Amino acid sequence: MSFFRRSPWILHYDGSSCNGCDIEVLACLTPLYDVERFGVVNTGNPKHADILLVTGSVNERNVEIVENLYRQMPDPKVVVAVGACACSGGIFARAYNVQGGIDRVVPVDVYVPGCAARPERIIDGVVQGIAALEGKRAAMAAGRRRGALRPQSGSQPAGAA
Amino acid sequence: MKRTIVPLGPQHPVLPEPLVLDLVLEDERVVDAVPTIGYIHRGLEAMVEKVEYTEMGFVAERICGICSFMHGMGFCASIEDIMGVEVPERARWLRLVWAELSRIQSHLLWLGLGSDAFGFENLFMHCWRMREEILDIFEATTGGRIIFSVNRIGGVKRDIADSELAGIAERLRALGERFAEIARVFRADPSIHHRLAGVGVLPAGEALAAGAVGPMARASGLATDTRLLGTHGYDRLDFEPVVEAGGDCLARVLVRLREVEQSIDLIRQLVDRMPKGDGQPIETRVRGLPDGETFMRLEQPRGEVVYYLKANGTKYLERFRARTPTFANIPAMISLVRGHDLADVPNIILTIDPCISCTER
Amino acid sequence: MDGERFLARVAAYRADGWRLSVINTTAVLPSDELPQGAFDISWSFALGTRLEHLRERVVPGEEVPSVSPSFPSAFLYENEMRELFGVDVTGIAVDLRGQLYRTATRVPFSPGAIRRRLEATGRLGDGARHAAKPQPRPTTEAGA
Ligand code: SF4
Repeated sequence: MSFFRRSPWILHYDGSSCNGCDIEVLACLTPLYDVERFGVVNTGNPKHADILLVTGSVNERNVEIVENLYRQMPDPKVVVAVGACACSGGIFARAYNVQGGIDRVVPVDVYVPGCAARPERIIDGVVQGIAALEGKRAAMAAGRRRGALRPQSGSQPAGAA
Repeated sequence: MKRTIVPLGPQHPVLPEPLVLDLVLEDERVVDAVPTIGYIHRGLEAMVEKVEYTEMGFVAERICGICSFMHGMGFCASIEDIMGVEVPERARWLRLVWAELSRIQSHLLWLGLGSDAFGFENLFMHCWRMREEILDIFEATTGGRIIFSVNRIGGVKRDIADSELAGIAERLRALGERFAEIARVFRADPSIHHRLAGVGVLPAGEALAAGAVGPMARASGLATDTRLLGTHGYDRLDFEPVVEAGGDCLARVLVRLREVEQSIDLIRQLVDRMPKGDGQPIETRVRGLPDGETFMRLEQPRGEVVYYLKANGTKYLERFRARTPTFANIPAMISLVRGHDLADVPNIILTIDPCISCTER
Repeated sequence: MDGERFLARVAAYRADGWRLSVINTTAVLPSDELPQGAFDISWSFALGTRLEHLRERVVPGEEVPSVSPSFPSAFLYENEMRELFGVDVTGIAVDLRGQLYRTATRVPFSPGAIRRRLEATGRLGDGARHAAKPQPRPTTEAGA
């Protein structure tokens, strides 16, 4: 897998999911799918994560947490929404405590469909996330060469300039 | 002594799910724990206002992605009870096959997470690899790995051919042999015993007072198992509830180990005793609107679940309530962490096998 | 409701070794007889294969005594009753002070809140919804 420029570190956060997508994310780490062989590492610390993987929708209470995690991640960073819930609120979109997909709070780069999302699709989503990450890094580097590095952005995606 | 409050969660060291406990500590010792939930609260029960009863089963399945099948089954059985629908013989047997497979799947998942929590990553991987075999069976028989939507009000959507059922029984027999090796590690490994034996002891009397259910109660010597009611067709199977006397974290692991073996045996019985022949009816057509109420109980992997449904002769139910096993087990868990060292808290929490999305709905 | 008599019956269940299985609340929408709506609350107890229920109908503002003297574990149900439904439960063993769920809508299952949601979907007055009195079969052991 030579096109993997480096090994992305993933931070997984479970919004108000039903567990289905979470378990599938976890299943990606286990022997049948084993994403670690591609160098993908699951971390619990946002300060050294590259990809934020969110399952489940945002509700009243976890909205700050998703925001917080995203803010703490270093640039460049990518957000992957896993499952129908994270993409749009899914089957729960009409429930009173659900606000919708996570793109309500943070910019999403890759949407992974499915209810539950299948492990193959999640892995594919991460691979696309890596491409997006590379793109952002290149843009940042170009910006730096021009001496126009933007200050560390708050909740804006980096390298969008 | 000075008291410190340590928040545990929501982004969790041991659970993929956001459970939050405010632990009140004196030095390293936990003196109290205050739960806050709500991070996964969706308001699922209120969706009966907007979703017709015929479709609500799909929402019920998504109460939780681990017990998904059982939630769908419980919902459909509740409506069938209210409407007096007779479910075809074959469908009842098939539901039990999937239900027991779900139990194996859930316990393997938990045994994996558990071993990861007490520092045994290798065992985690082994458990989850075995779990994939169960998911394979799910996928072959229903098309889904996690959420199958195979339950219908009045029966099931798909049949499993007799030959396929025999194949499943055979696969499970082989799985059981490999599981025995893993079970041996759980039972004999000194480092596991060191972490779990004597930790978080829940005496039988307390378990009863706290309303504990499922493996949690059975590990404390209470022979409660909703399957003993004989409903849903369990009366046609021979089994004894798995009971351990220890009441500690280790006993809770042992109960689940034995329940995997028990479920494998139950599926063998199901396949043996099921009336043979493909092409039997699997679904009763349901007409009309439900009117009335019911309490429906079912033994999920984590224990007794109680559904309460109230219908009023319209398309929309008046009330749908699911009291899931974790909800019943949280009070016992809170009393358990009191008096323990902070470092033991993760193990205690994990051994109740909490499912937060069930609890909050 | 008669609090004392109710608590005595709960205590009898405890003394006989029953387990508190579930406390369930159902909101009853406002009607001519019940201008503020009401709550149908059932306490379910399990022993062996049996499941029995106590049931009360209370109006908003009416005090419901906590069953925690007999079943301390009831605190989760009772906090939920107060937070999600707005039932006035008194004497909860562990009072979480409205911090259990923290929902977007305050008391989302109260008669008023349900009414507002139904109005919004244009389905208020749909059939016999919420008008019916509780039916006298609360002690069924449901089975498929
Ligand atoms: S998308 Fe489906 S499986 Fe995934 S969290 Fe949502 S309801 Fe569960």
